[in-house]
Amino acid sequence: MTDFMNYLVLGLTRGSMYALIALGYTLVYGVLQLINFAHSEVFMSGAFGSYLVIGMFVHDGQHLAWWQVSLVMILGLLSGALVGAGVAWALERVAYRPLRQRGAPKLAFLISAIGMSFFLSQLAGKLFNRLSQNQFPSYFDQNKAVLHILGAAVSRIQLIVIVTALLMMFSLDRLVSGTKLGRSIRGVAEDAPTAALMGIDIDKTISRTFIIGGALGGAAGFLFGTTFVFSNIMGFIPGVKAFAAAVLGGIGNIRGAMIGGLLLGVVENIVPTAPWDGSGGWIGLQWTDVVAFVVLILVLVFRPTGILGERLGRAA
Amino acid sequence: MRTRTLVHVAALSAVGAMALSACSNSTSGGGLSGSASSGGGGGTTYTVAFEGPLSGDNAQLGINEVNGVQLAIDQANAKGDLGFTAKLLKADDGGDASKAPAAAAQVLQDATVMGVVGPSFSGASKAVGNIYGAAGLTIVNPSASNGTLQTLGFKTWHRVVPNDYAEGPAVADWMAKKFKKVFIVNHLSDYGAGVAGAVEKELKAKGVTVQTAGVDAKTTDYGAISQTVKQSGADAMFYGGYDAQGALFAKALTAVGFTGARVAGNGVKSSVFTAGAGAAGNGWYFSCGCQDATVAPSAKDFTAAYTKAFNTPPSTYSPEAFDATNIVLDAIKAAKAAGKVDRAAVNDQVNKTDYAGITAQIKFGPNGDLPAGTGTVNLYTQKNGKIVSLGDVSKAS
Repeated sequence: MTDFMNYLVLGLTRGSMYALIALGYTLVYGVLQLINFAHSEVFMSGAFGSYLVIGMFVHDGQHLAWWQVSLVMILGLLSGALVGAGVAWALERVAYRPLRQRGAPKLAFLISAIGMSFFLSQLAGKLFNRLSQNQFPSYFDQNKAVLHILGAAVSRIQLIVIVTALLMMFSLDRLVSGTKLGRSIRGVAEDAPTAALMGIDIDKTISRTFIIGGALGGAAGFLFGTTFVFSNIMGFIPGVKAFAAAVLGGIGNIRGAMIGGLLLGVVENIVPTAPWDGSGGWIGLQWTDVVAFVVLILVLVFRPTGILGERLGRAA
Repeated sequence: MRTRTLVHVAALSAVGAMALSACSNSTSGGGLSGSASSGGGGGTTYTVAFEGPLSGDNAQLGINEVNGVQLAIDQANAKGDLGFTAKLLKADDGGDASKAPAAAAQVLQDATVMGVVGPSFSGASKAVGNIYGAAGLTIVNPSASNGTLQTLGFKTWHRVVPNDYAEGPAVADWMAKKFKKVFIVNHLSDYGAGVAGAVEKELKAKGVTVQTAGVDAKTTDYGAISQTVKQSGADAMFYGGYDAQGALFAKALTAVGFTGARVAGNGVKSSVFTAGAGAAGNGWYFSCGCQDATVAPSAKDFTAAYTKAFNTPPSTYSPEAFDATNIVLDAIKAAKAAGKVDRAAVNDQVNKTDYAGITAQIKFGPNGDLPAGTGTVNLYTQKNGKIVSLGDVSKAS
């Protein structure tokens, strides 16, 4: 049981990050019916942005009190979110809005997205570096266990990742279902022309949707970089996985992306390692990606619209 | 209408892709190929090609090597007794087997290329060994250590480092002296699988309990595998893989609190690993059929010159690449003295090599590898973020 729980915690940590990134895909898909493939680079820029900000305040090997650590964490999340939001906003302005105004076909958006993805990733490589493993300064012992659930140790960083991700997801859910902005996002997603007739500014709403998705992705970039490492090409694999998670939960469906992300993370860690006895598992970890995508295919075979269904314009 | 749009897009992207690949060729090829060749002896120019990763995750290893090649060429040109001008052609394969044939094609296009130093990685070497072989172009490999490469019938294959079938058992013998249960993690690449298999076989022969698991070569998630290693109760872990991934693994192992020893092969011993793993890399052991150029006495001049030229001390496989290049240059010189310089003649001369290099006395057996028993496998460890040599692994405690 302890061993199972260990893998479960690993899966939830991973899954929380997938979920945050998946929300960016799903939000944009909701309003534009477009897969924003450059979203993985929004995630990447969040990591670099927060690194630049945090690097001004802490340095490697510093020991901080718990409240200072919390402050730095909040600063990192905010700066990551801000940079992510900024990049996503600019992305929409540069790569999508001109196409939309000219009534370009859907495929043009897709190529534009892929182009921006390459551009941003290479730009970061040019501006910063192309090392595969940049690290945030280490200013607290991330691996110290703070909590034991059924014998499984949950480390500080795991707790931070899971709790902040859940908080952000909860706030997003409230925002979309309970505020005026949320209502206009839902309106545009459901039926853009009618929403416009009702007095909703479509351009503004789309722009803000990008900003929200970018903020979540940027914050996820900070969390990912803090837990693992970051680089200019870090976005690709988490991006593909998060996109799969969004489809798994039902693309365009916000709660679906959350569930899809968490589920994918957990499946990746639990299924290949079963029976969790340290033997390497029946399936084996080299099959992790195969397992993840087999699950995706199985879900889509039986529920082609994903677990919660493709429900545009509704919070759930 | 819809199909037409599709066709347009397809055509556009095809054009774009061609333009892109043309760009990358010209930057990695012609533009950078010339060294600051000074001196120059005689009118003819012969080129030594380097193939290896100069971009991407594993670029550091390629840079270590190409600098060694560059230094050998610059020194030879400066000395002025070559009788020809030597030039360097850099072909970037990203360390990727699927990109290696394109890099090889780029090398073969240049008729002045008389020898290849590289490819750096085993997978890439496997992919292009026959391409170079068919063109009769000699390969002097500084670092691809997979133990099957010499058996694949590559006509022009030579290698200046001991292969994994020499390195793996040597480090396994050392591990067998210290550990009772070893967990072998195999990064599923030609190099990783080769060295992991060689270590496993030798450990089992010595009666050590062995457990194995594989991980995808491109994953960034080492949490689950680290957890598995910890739970297995092994007192040591051997990792067959490369540096960038090894660093992620090192951090994850520390994160889950694995307390056993960590051992890896030559693919992990680099500054990419030490920088990436940080404190989590301290205490890792590395086996390597390579010389530590910063301590080996025969390499002192090389180290000084290298540091002066590139503002950084030589790293893993720089000395090997330096030796490999000198072997090619000597072969061209010998072929010229014998009257005819072409790829076949140079390859014949490389076969006859008996060269006192800074890494070892280098001769090639009939299969292109160092004859059995030559070449030393050294053990290294990371201490306070730096890799230090522990000397010959067969004598290490």
